[in-house]
Amino acid sequence: MEILEKGISGTTESSDIYITVEPNDENTIAIDLQSDVEKQYGDRIREVITNTAKNLGVSSVKVTAVDSGALDCTITARTLNALQRALGNERYNWKEIETWNV
Amino acid sequence: MLTTKRLWLDRDQPMRERWLKFLKQNNLQPEEVDYTIGIFDDGRLIGTGSIYQNIIKLIAVCGDYQEQNLLTSLVTELADYLWTNDITHYFLYTKPENMKYFTSLGFKRIIETDTVAFMERGTPDLEDYLSKLTEVKAEAKEAGAIVMNANPFTKGHLYLVETALKQCDHLYVFVLSDESSLFSFEERFRLVKEGVDHLSGVTVVPSREYQVSQATFPAYFLKDQAAEEVAKSQAELDATLFKEKIAPVLDIRIRFMGEEPLSKVTEIYNEAMAATFGKDMELVVVPRLQSEGEVISATRVRQAIEDKNIALIKHFVPETTYRYLTERFTH
Repeated sequence: MEILEKGISGTTESSDIYITVEPNDENTIAIDLQSDVEKQYGDRIREVITNTAKNLGVSSVKVTAVDSGALDCTITARTLNALQRALGNERYNWKEIETWNV
Repeated sequence: MLTTKRLWLDRDQPMRERWLKFLKQNNLQPEEVDYTIGIFDDGRLIGTGSIYQNIIKLIAVCGDYQEQNLLTSLVTELADYLWTNDITHYFLYTKPENMKYFTSLGFKRIIETDTVAFMERGTPDLEDYLSKLTEVKAEAKEAGAIVMNANPFTKGHLYLVETALKQCDHLYVFVLSDESSLFSFEERFRLVKEGVDHLSGVTVVPSREYQVSQATFPAYFLKDQAAEEVAKSQAELDATLFKEKIAPVLDIRIRFMGEEPLSKVTEIYNEAMAATFGKDMELVVVPRLQSEGEVISATRVRQAIEDKNIALIKHFVPETTYRYLTERFTH
């Protein structure tokens, strides 16, 4: 699935992550990450975002993430929310989301 | 108890006074704004931030509260407002020493001078713009550049392009993307392209927000109503951005300017460019083309359009522009 609109979720408050998703010219999940803990957790943050997008069936998207020390569950929630907003999807399949376990 | 609310500066005069006083205490010069919020602690104004078009500016937080991360709340509020107005790429002005706080909020540095830093958040950003420019880069030993509004493209602009082309082996013509003119960007861009189509070695590109825009150089659009000091600081920023970011990507060595003998703002801009370029780049000011003792300018073309003086329009603009104008204004 391709992202065709912009979507946004989160804040830049402490322990949160601010996620913006938008169309990508290439068929990849491209992540631009800004985080104070990039050195320690950068790879993991990217992994969580990538897995969340893949689980939702999204293969082409540009993600901008401004992290202020979010936990994995927060990262998943914000990514999911931004993508669903971009897709204009208001009904979530919680059962399926439960099984992801990213 | 902290509360955040919108300040109606144009209607609430006492609030405006308090805001002005607060800015002054924080060494900020008031400027034009569309939207302003304030944070209050039991009625005391302790933080503020404003938006003008797509620019966040005049952000200040009272020293006693700087531990409380109010900056984050201010920026979140302002970003929400921009988002609800469909503005997803925006700019921010701050002092160079405060850049680090905004970097951690996801803003990227565009450029800075001694007095001001210019940042952005969202896309398409400067990086995207520069990579687009790289795609159209031509092989050249001495590349030159002109930045023009071309509102609309006249014989004067054509003369400037031809004169510049004699002094360099490739010329980039940047057309202002800003929609503050009689002719839209799309129209102006098209007319420049058609007007120089017969010349080889010319590439026409949009300037986006990164040259002489409402973001980098708002004083330009106010013409001579802008305060000189303000115009000077903006001109410096614009010239620095051109020299350090845009020119290197296209190997531009010479910047050409059309002479504007009567405009103070242009004079300030030229001075700022000469000072910023130093020995690294050349600035060439080309005198205006005169036609039968008359100076050709886009201002006069617009006047002629208003007066429906077709003979005069024909006299001032090249065939390509003339054809378009007759199409647009006779139907």
